[in-house]
Amino acid sequence: MLRKTLTDDTFYLNMGPQHPSTHGVLRLLLRLDGERIVECEPVLGYSHRGHEHMAQTKSYLRFMPNPSRMDYLAGLMYNHAYCLALERACGVEAPRRAQYIRLICAELNRIASHLLWFGAYLLDLGGFTPFLYAFDDREDILAILGEVTGSRLTYSYCRFGGVARDLTPAFPQMTRAFIAKLRARLADYDTLVSKNIIFINRTKGIGPISREQARDYALSGPNLRACGIGHDLRRVEPCSVYPDLDFQTVTTNQDAGIGDCYDRYLVRMGEMAQSLDIVEQALELIPEGPIRAKGVPQEPAPPPGDYQFSYESARGLLSIYLVSDGSRVPVRMKWRTPSFSNLSILPLLLPGTLVADTVAILGSLDLVIPEIDR
Amino acid sequence: MNQAEPLYELLRSSPAVLEAQGSQSARDGFDLRLAIRAKGMPELARLFKEHGCFLEFITAVDHGESLELIYVFSAWLRPFRVMARCPASLMEPSPSLVEVLAAADWQEREVFDMFGLEFAGHPDLKRILLPEDADFHPLRKDFKPGARHGGDWFEGETA
Repeated sequence: MLRKTLTDDTFYLNMGPQHPSTHGVLRLLLRLDGERIVECEPVLGYSHRGHEHMAQTKSYLRFMPNPSRMDYLAGLMYNHAYCLALERACGVEAPRRAQYIRLICAELNRIASHLLWFGAYLLDLGGFTPFLYAFDDREDILAILGEVTGSRLTYSYCRFGGVARDLTPAFPQMTRAFIAKLRARLADYDTLVSKNIIFINRTKGIGPISREQARDYALSGPNLRACGIGHDLRRVEPCSVYPDLDFQTVTTNQDAGIGDCYDRYLVRMGEMAQSLDIVEQALELIPEGPIRAKGVPQEPAPPPGDYQFSYESARGLLSIYLVSDGSRVPVRMKWRTPSFSNLSILPLLLPGTLVADTVAILGSLDLVIPEIDR
Repeated sequence: MNQAEPLYELLRSSPAVLEAQGSQSARDGFDLRLAIRAKGMPELARLFKEHGCFLEFITAVDHGESLELIYVFSAWLRPFRVMARCPASLMEPSPSLVEVLAAADWQEREVFDMFGLEFAGHPDLKRILLPEDADFHPLRKDFKPGARHGGDWFEGETA
């Protein structure tokens, strides 16, 4: 809560809502003492579109294009999570092939999301070159996903009980070529960025978050794993075919239990390598067969009651809470989005830091504003 | 579903809990459902906090004639999800959890913004997603979008 009248030498500075480092429209109201931040209040809602209201005024099926518009950088994962939530509530299971296809696409989307974060974060910190590299890699993923889903950003590819269409013949080969390319690139990024002294000085020891703080503010995703907690819903509450796949949960700092901006960077870079492994294995394991479940009702209508489904999205714990009265229109659909909670810790992190570090800390949390505002 | 969780017994026997119910089916996603009194919520939140749980989200549901608050708690590194529900009223504020769990701050502001439910003891209860001067709470069932512009241009689908 900011004091409205100032009696000392401090002053207010508005950062955003059009500041480039806020990636979208977030306004930070900062109270400064010279270069130091005394207080910070995030002001949200500039891209609030009322998705939860839209959900309760239309049928489950007609809400299908909406989830990918919440987090447009990991749209396929939101689309995937929505379908899984609905399927579990209705007692429908998609065929194995469809589950593998969804998982491959979702993991590719996770890599694309982390790559965009990587490029944009380095750009925020003043490094222009990694941005071009990251977008070059990401473009390959968008081409692969475009090949199978037909869209580049806001996917509605998953269907209630399956996927919209089967993989194209070119897909496995394109994906394998990309995996080989990105593995080489990740090694380059490690030497170019992870060991770059300017980058290390800008991020190491900046914005530390302890485990207790992370728990208090319900942090999740890579931000939590950077504090040494290997909490990953793909492992803890595995959905779909995740139990079939062999991958590591990436964490840093198990001993200290405090994660700074550099740790959050390391976790995301590690997760990209793990996602590549997941995609590679899934391409080997994917069975032949149908891509849509048979006998699925045209309009999903879960039995009366309430249902909860959680999913590990690119930014952390995504929960969907559904209340159904047995009809095809939900009574209530709550979306607990990870960035909303991840941003809420900012007023705790910023006081005492320099304005220049605001950009480093804000960027390291990997926020997508439309996901916060919904 | 994890039935061996020691916290479940503590929750079942807590005086704040009116009724405890295990998972009804594999489909609902909750390991334990608690019906509670709103007044008992801070005490329950403290119990969750002591046992290393975090507050996943707070939300409300408008059933038309009554409102209900939903609290969902989860824990790290193990499958654990408990929901607590209590009746809520627009006349009487529910106790705030901000003193116990910092995550409740923005969650309660969102519930206030969307439903108009108030929380007693919240340090700065104001709108979070809608503009400060909004005069409506959009997730309430009596909210009619477009009515303030003089028409029923959007009615939505009904069951």
